[in-house]
Order: sequence, then structure tokens, then C-alpha cells
Amino acid sequence: MACTRTLARLATRRTVVRPAVFSRGFASVTDTHARDPLSKVGEKIVPDAERKPIPESKTSTVQEPDPSKDAKTKTFHIYRWNPDEPSSKPQMQTYTLDLNKTGPMMLDALIRIKNEVDPTLTFRRSCREGICGSCAMNIDGVNTLACLCRIPTDTAKESRIYPLPHMYVVKDLVPDMTLFYKQYRSVKPYLQRSTAAPDGREFRQSKEDRKKLDGLYECILCACCSTSCPSYWWNQEEYLGPAVLLQSYRWIADSRDEKKAERQDALNNSMSLYRCHTILNCSRTCPKGLNPALAIAEIKKSMAFT
Amino acid sequence: MASQRIFQLGLRRVAAPSLKMQPAGRMAQRRLAATKHASQSEAAEILAKQRIYRPVSPHLAIYRPQITWYGSVLGRITGLTLSGSLYLFGIAYLIAPYTGWHMETQSMVAAVAAWPAAVKMGVKAFFAFPFFYHCLNGLRHLSWDMGFGFKNQQVIRSGWGVVALSVLGGLYYTFIG
Amino acid sequence: MASIMRPGVLRQACTKPAASQRMLSTFTSSARNRPLGQQLRPAFQRASIPQSTRIAAFHATQRNQLLPALPQKVVGTTNDPTPVPDPDYAHGSYHWSFERIISAGLVPLTIAPFAAGSLNPVTDSILCALLVVHSHIGFESSIIDYFPKSRVPLVRASLMWALRISTVAVGLALYSFETNDVGVTEAVLRLWHA
Repeated sequence: MACTRTLARLATRRTVVRPAVFSRGFASVTDTHARDPLSKVGEKIVPDAERKPIPESKTSTVQEPDPSKDAKTKTFHIYRWNPDEPSSKPQMQTYTLDLNKTGPMMLDALIRIKNEVDPTLTFRRSCREGICGSCAMNIDGVNTLACLCRIPTDTAKESRIYPLPHMYVVKDLVPDMTLFYKQYRSVKPYLQRSTAAPDGREFRQSKEDRKKLDGLYECILCACCSTSCPSYWWNQEEYLGPAVLLQSYRWIADSRDEKKAERQDALNNSMSLYRCHTILNCSRTCPKGLNPALAIAEIKKSMAFT
Repeated sequence: MASQRIFQLGLRRVAAPSLKMQPAGRMAQRRLAATKHASQSEAAEILAKQRIYRPVSPHLAIYRPQITWYGSVLGRITGLTLSGSLYLFGIAYLIAPYTGWHMETQSMVAAVAAWPAAVKMGVKAFFAFPFFYHCLNGLRHLSWDMGFGFKNQQVIRSGWGVVALSVLGGLYYTFIG
Repeated sequence: MASIMRPGVLRQACTKPAASQRMLSTFTSSARNRPLGQQLRPAFQRASIPQSTRIAAFHATQRNQLLPALPQKVVGTTNDPTPVPDPDYAHGSYHWSFERIISAGLVPLTIAPFAAGSLNPVTDSILCALLVVHSHIGFESSIIDYFPKSRVPLVRASLMWALRISTVAVGLALYSFETNDVGVTEAVLRLWHA
């Protein structure tokens, strides 16, 4: 076994003549069979998931590409982590930008950095108007959408950009949302109904019933609220988190849905719903102005004494 | 009329074919990075391997201090302080007969009366501030459980209101009451 | 919270490879010259990581955070939902409703002594009982939050049992305090003015 591994390594060995372009380092392509990566022993050998980022004072600063005389220079400290160096520590990289040449929003600053300064900076973005929820990140300590967050014009204050808190980082500002989406899937976010519509055509709803969904259906699942919740930080494997619970309530409150009791039963245990301690970070941070905490309180009320 | 038009179109296509043949070399995409095909299970294995290296993004240390979560943390700490004291007292009272401690009210009062004033005030402050904060914050929680006071503005105001009231109550019962 | 909830038990044991192993585990060192024992070591330690980062990888971290997150592990494929637990009313909605009744009941019982001086023995013992139950629920909820079953099963179980035992003990103690002594509110009143 050891012998074959050695041979395999010799075969894949980097030679001097081979230029670096051709040997792009994947995080962990070799040695995948070396051991079960998910074993208990493995958890102790792999680098600490909670390793702290190297502060910006110990990293280099990337300056504005074409500085002008009357520049309004703003400093951005951005969380960087490169999966090609898997066990390295994350670091805070500093960039300075001239605000006169940058758009008004944080996303504009990020895009300008990527286009003109450092193409390796990685982040998610799509619609640039707060409807897709891709660019959710922690900006100056609060979770928000980068495209809806103005750059503070006070150039004396330095901005800090992190990925969504307590998420596993894929690269730089990109968190792994797999668990979040799997949890969303677990609340069955679709209309469940077995009886046919009375008029045989569509499921009608009164205006009052429709009104109950206002403030719920607008959620874009950006995960800002869930990742601002300390309870979700500590127990995200079992607690569903504000965003998913709001979505669950969106279907519990829907007058056309016929599986209300089943939906409530799915939440009726110690962890899924009742790890919410009404901390209210979720409502405070929601970039769409929704109120997940109220939705959770309504679920709890509807399930109380039953 | 229509058939004539179609005939003309067909003629034109034959005369000027829009799809030109291109040399194969230009069509082929050149890749600088070496890639290899991975089956679905292999890909899953690579992904699992990548996942265990991933760091967790910073949370407690970088999230902006706000009355919402700081108030909640304080509520829990004050509750643990008060209940912890109650539990310590209860257990001490239970084992007092075996250890020879005097935990009857009269002897405790006599012992406390002998303390210097500063110590007394310190102990009173240790209980008064958490007591008022926890009780008032509890009222806030009861109103939330009934579905009131969820607007951001209301949450912030009630949060700071509870802090102010508990400081007042704590001060009063530390120094006067 | 971070400082008081940070017992040593939460820290993950970190088995760092010894410095000599790390030195020998470089990719470029000749595999043929190595003793057999080293070649048999898990290949991970001779890792596939670029050399520059490999040596710095393991030494500079302190595992002292609150609830250190474990390496990421995703159960099932991306398209599977997370498992939905079976309904458990006793720990779900009943528990929540019960907790609210207790807390709401504590409100008048807490205000009354401020208005009346101290309570009569019956209300005083009700207050004591509610306080014990409220404290128990509060401690229990803290343990559930900060000591997840999946991460620290033994610590979780032992803390829960310690909590149950001490709750019973405190209940007994307060019962005897109520029956043999002056009652909790009266005792607090006297101590406060001592």
C-alpha cells in the first residue's frame, strides 16, 4: 500500500521543466484514498476550522490602481482564504480605492477590486439590485447584501468585509450554503393539497388570506438572518434558523395549504424551532426589511397549548 | 406569391451559404490547466475532502455589538448568576447540618450585619442589578411571546429602556432600599 | 458569555504532528530514503499540500473559542433534505407553554413582596417552587445550547444529570427552609436590611 502510494506520488511529482500553469493545485486531489476524511481521527488532524484570520496589520496593502490628486481614498479590509492552500489561515487583505472612481455601493467596490486590482478576489453576485440574495455578506459587522449597502463616505473609517458569520468558507467571501438549502428543502416549501379546487380551476384565496402572506413571500433566502443568529451559530445542524422558519410559516399561514398540522409537527421538537430564544438579530439585520422573529413567534403561538 | 418568395430564399441560400467551414484548429478550445474527468462518486469524495479543510468564518468577534444580542446574552448571564446563587445556597443549606455551617436566617443576618458597609453594598449590587435586568427583560420576552413589540424601533427602545430601568432599580436597592 | 462558557472540556484535543515528523513529511524529500515506519504513517501527514503552507499549517492556532466548530461534514447529497425529527411534544410545544406559564406566574409573585413586604407561607412556597422549576428550565436550555449531543455527548449527559440531581437537592433544601425557617422572601428582606 505504502509502496503504491509512493509510486503514485512519483508519477504525479512536479518537475522543474513543467511550468506552474499546467500544474494547477487542487485542494486535495491526490491522496484521496489515504484515509477516510470523515473519521474522528481525521477531525483531530485537520486544521482547526475556527482558526482566526491573520489581521490586516500583518498582510500587505494593495493600493488604488491609478491614484489621482484629489482622491477620496477609502480602505477596505477583506477576508481572504484560498482553498488551494487548504490548511493555511484566512487573512485580512487590505485594499484602498478612490471613491470618486468607484460606484456608490459595496458591491461596486468589490467588482472594481476584482476588475482592476486583484482578479483573485472571489465573491457571489448576480442581480446588483437586492433581489437575488447572492451577495449576502458581513459588512462592517452587520449581515447585509453588498448591492444594497452604501459605502460610508467617511474615508477616515475603514470598512471590513467578512463572509456570512459562522459558515464554512468555500473561498474568500463565498460561504458554503449546502446545509442552509438542505434545511430549506426539509420544510417542504411548496403547496401541499390533496383536495381539488371547488371550481375545478384554481385554488382561490380571499384578500384577507392573501394579506397574511405579505412580509413572508418577499424573502429571498439570502441567509443574512440565519447567520446573524447566535443560536444558529451554535446549533446549525439541528436548529433550522430564522430564514427557514419564516419560509415554514409562509406555508403554515397559507390558507390553501392542507398540511398545516404536519408542518407544525415537523417543528415540534426541542431543536428545530425552540432553539429560538427571541434574540432578534434576525429582524434587525434583514436587508429586505422582513421580520423573521415575528414569524417564528407566530409559529410558537399557533403551536402553544396544543 | 408565397411559393415564389420561398424559391427565391432557397436560391439565395445556395448562392451564399452563411455557415462557413472553419479550420479545426481554431474551433478547438485550448486549456491551460490540466483537467481530468472524475466520476460522480470520485467528485463527491474530493468535495468531502475539501470540506474538512474549510475554515469557519468569524462570528462572535466580528458581529457588531447591538442591543438585541448583547441584551439577550446579558439576560442569560444574569439568569445564570441568580439561579446559580439560589442553587449554591440550596445545596449549602442542605449540607449545613453535616459541615457545621450556620445557615439559619438569624445567624446569617448576624453574620451579614458584621460585614463592612462596602462589602454589603457590593453583595447587594451583585444581586440587585442582575435581578432587575432579568425580571424586566423577562417581561419583554413575555410580550414577544404574545406577539407584541417586534418592530426594530420598539425592540431597540425597549432594550435600552430595560437597561436604564434596571440601572435605576439596582442603584436604588444597592444604596437606599 | 464567551468567557464563562469556556471550560476546558470544550477545547478540542489537538494532536499536532511533532516537529520532526513535519520536517520529514515534505513532498520533495526522497521517499526511497525514508525508513519504512515513516512510509507507513497515514499519507495525510505527508500531505498533498504545497510545501510553503504545510509547515505553517498546524502550529499557529489556539483552540480556545466558544464551541469550536468541527470540520465541515455534509450528510447526504446536496439534494437531500436534512432529516426531520419525529414530533416530540413533551420537549416541544408543551415544554414551551409550560415554561411561559411558569414565567408569567413568577411576575405577580415577584411584584407582591415589593408591595407587601414579605409573603405568607403558602405564596412563598409557590414562589420557591416556581423559582426552582424556572431555574431548572433555564439551566437545561443553556446546556442544550452550548453542549450539543453530537459534539460532547458525555459532557452533555453528565451535566444534565448533575442538573437534575441539584434541582432535586435545591427543592428539598427550599422545602426544609420553608418549613423550618422564616421563608425565602422574609429571609431576603432581613438579609437586605441587615
